[in-house]
Amino acid sequence: MFQQFELAHGVKLYVRPTEQFKTINISFKWKQPITVKDASIRAVLSNILQYSNEVYPSNADFRKRLDDLYGTALYFDTTKKGNNHIFSLNAETVNDAYLSNEKVVDEVFSLLATVIFKPLLVNGKFVDSIVKREKEQVIERIQSMYDDKTRYAQQRLLENIRPDHPASISSNGTVAEVKVITNDQLIEMHEKLLHEDELSIYIVGDINVEEIKEKMKNYFPFSNRTEKLPTEVVNKQGKNDTNYLHEIQDMKQGKLHIAYHTPITFYSEEYPIMQMTNGILGGFAHSKIFMNVREKESMAYYASSNYSSLYGLIFVLAGIDSNLQEKAVQLIDEQILAMQKGDISDLEINQTKSMLKNQLKEALDSARAQIDIYDQYKELNEDFKVEEWVEKWSNVTKEQIQQMASKIEKEFVYFLSGKDGANNE
Amino acid sequence: MNETYFKQLEETLYHEQLPNGLNVYILPKKGFSKTYVTFTTNYGSVDREFIPHGKEEPVIVPDGIAHFLEHKMFEKEDGDVFQKFSENGASANAFTSFTRTAYLFSSTDLVLENTKVLLDFVQQPYFTEQTVEKEKGIIAQEITMYDDQPDWRLYFGAIENMYKEHPVKIDIAGTVESIKQITADHLYECYNTFYHPSNMIVFVVGAVNPEKMMTFIKEDQASKSFEPPQEIKRFFPNEQNAVAISERTLQMDVQKPKVIFGIKSNNTTISGKEMLNYELSMQVAVEMIFGRTSSFYQNVYETGLIDESYSADYSMEHGYGFTMIGSDSINPDMLVHAVKQTITDNSKEWKFSEEDLKRITRKKIGFFLRALNSIEYIANQFTRYSFNNMNLFDVVPALENLTMEQVKEAFESLKNENTHSVFKIIPNLKKNDE
Repeated sequence: MFQQFELAHGVKLYVRPTEQFKTINISFKWKQPITVKDASIRAVLSNILQYSNEVYPSNADFRKRLDDLYGTALYFDTTKKGNNHIFSLNAETVNDAYLSNEKVVDEVFSLLATVIFKPLLVNGKFVDSIVKREKEQVIERIQSMYDDKTRYAQQRLLENIRPDHPASISSNGTVAEVKVITNDQLIEMHEKLLHEDELSIYIVGDINVEEIKEKMKNYFPFSNRTEKLPTEVVNKQGKNDTNYLHEIQDMKQGKLHIAYHTPITFYSEEYPIMQMTNGILGGFAHSKIFMNVREKESMAYYASSNYSSLYGLIFVLAGIDSNLQEKAVQLIDEQILAMQKGDISDLEINQTKSMLKNQLKEALDSARAQIDIYDQYKELNEDFKVEEWVEKWSNVTKEQIQQMASKIEKEFVYFLSGKDGANNE
Repeated sequence: MNETYFKQLEETLYHEQLPNGLNVYILPKKGFSKTYVTFTTNYGSVDREFIPHGKEEPVIVPDGIAHFLEHKMFEKEDGDVFQKFSENGASANAFTSFTRTAYLFSSTDLVLENTKVLLDFVQQPYFTEQTVEKEKGIIAQEITMYDDQPDWRLYFGAIENMYKEHPVKIDIAGTVESIKQITADHLYECYNTFYHPSNMIVFVVGAVNPEKMMTFIKEDQASKSFEPPQEIKRFFPNEQNAVAISERTLQMDVQKPKVIFGIKSNNTTISGKEMLNYELSMQVAVEMIFGRTSSFYQNVYETGLIDESYSADYSMEHGYGFTMIGSDSINPDMLVHAVKQTITDNSKEWKFSEEDLKRITRKKIGFFLRALNSIEYIANQFTRYSFNNMNLFDVVPALENLTMEQVKEAFESLKNENTHSVFKIIPNLKKNDE
């Protein structure tokens, strides 16, 4: 899918020329093992670098420059993938071909180089007032999760089942860690990005590969660095005395989040079988959980499962009336039990195969998704092909799914609701 | 079949209006593997008072019925339509807005088969009292879910403040109480009135052979029988120019206060080119004054009055329209003050240059070109434009021709204080036992 080149040791360039899009997408991804402290520093650093730089010291100047470049989108982002924290810089700009007499793409490259190599420094430090404010912004971003009950409930579930584990560490870090970040730590982290972190650069669009390669070398003189990050996550279970937690907040709907552990991860041979198994259980609108919890019992508007393959976990989520919790858990248990007993129809298998295939093929109609999917799958095979994955699903049998279902073990039930059972008005 | 080539965008649009009145548009996209098909009716939550098909007196239907109808379209005598789409590897969905109800699927395979499923399920209503009752639990959970979302409550609170009579102030899904009143008869009445092909648009975009698809849809429609089209009579209350409520506060379990400064628009009976120009002028004016490159933004960001949740935009449909400037804020009152001050300052002295206009215009053109990579965006927006007699592909030339006079005139409409309204959500006072 992507052609790859090594720009320096530990710095790889992945290029995909295509006429599919009217824009060019560029993505820099710096990876390092995730820790709460470093995630916090990197989240704040990303905000600082996004705000201004040496050439455009005020945010308004910087944003005006981007607007002039036909509203080029340029943003930093911090995410995580398995054991690793990913610090990314993304840009999307219109292709010169759609503009008469313009050379936008070169300008965008130059701007990206400025953003990366020339931050706004005074005496070798970031501007204190900017550091202070951006720390505040990240803290507020972390706190705002409380207002989104689904995200909050999922985070509380993770903290309970995998404390101090990559699965529960937020890519923004924590309020406590952000508060104590120093200017020196931010400078040090910036140096690490420039010289130490493994870096993958992606470019997708209607481009000439050789030209782009030359430009990249000129604009981005990255130094050699040491590789290679550990990929596979050790899925150690947390030690829990209980396997159930009910928390109460001032709210109307009950949020039911159940965690299951499995021995199968993205790196396992049986990964495609577990994808099929999750698809039949609750991945789609034809799945058992949706059909039974929503359609048959009218208990929920949303009820689904998702497979977090890097951590070997399956999560079931449903929004239900707060006094129907026990009934919902029982109904969900029954669906897994049914699969373990072999209650899996040919129709369900065929539907799930078709949907998985469609999902993957559809995702590839977005440049951003092409980058993200390749960035993931290349760890298994640099020569990623859609057809290969479709083939893997198409070979999965009912017996294999039944066997996979028996490897799903319930680990924890988290329930967030208003006052127990009562109408919380 | 009509064919229009948009040179600057390198896109060709195919169109035909079928004998039953249905408008079909097809936009093939080079290099895409998925096809996205939408089937949309010009009917949404604001259409609550109308003369039902075949009758003479207007009726008022229960709140949330357009959305309820959308849910019920998926259930048929022989089961759930999602099952059929899943078998064909298509992901299907639907949504109801204030003015539209859209049914859609996307798939990378079996596109004609899926199109058939879509056309059939939308054109074959099946409602029984039993299935209607069953749906009430599901929709009640959907309503409850939104009740717990502060940003949704903020948005609706702001609209409720601005409108006194117009049904735009009613939540699209209705309330748990209002949906209890809905019966199968109601659904048939709304269906028969608003789901006539002459009130609908099919839009196909992505990997598609236009001739084959058009022939397929034509044959399908020719094989079905429809009554002759009738003019739909909808009634909307007279809405005053001033806002209904100028300031209101709601307490919720949130971390930080939230606020929207809303400005009610009164120039909302226009359509076509006039609407396109007005809408773009308003959007450019709001972007100039309150966008991320404005001195207003710089000031409120640096003083910590806004955070990453900040937004400022203008939206309109036939009959209503509003500007909303909002953010989570540690001091919503100071933010509101800054917004008002900015409007006053600009009415005393217009501080923007042709250079500013050019920059904002470029930004919007760039955004538009980026958006054309998204076939979902194209389909949804094209349909919206079309129901308002506008053409999505006129946006770039209209932006290029926009003058400072138009932008300034749009700004004038933001000045009237009677059209200003503030809605806040503030954190609950903590109870002692928690």
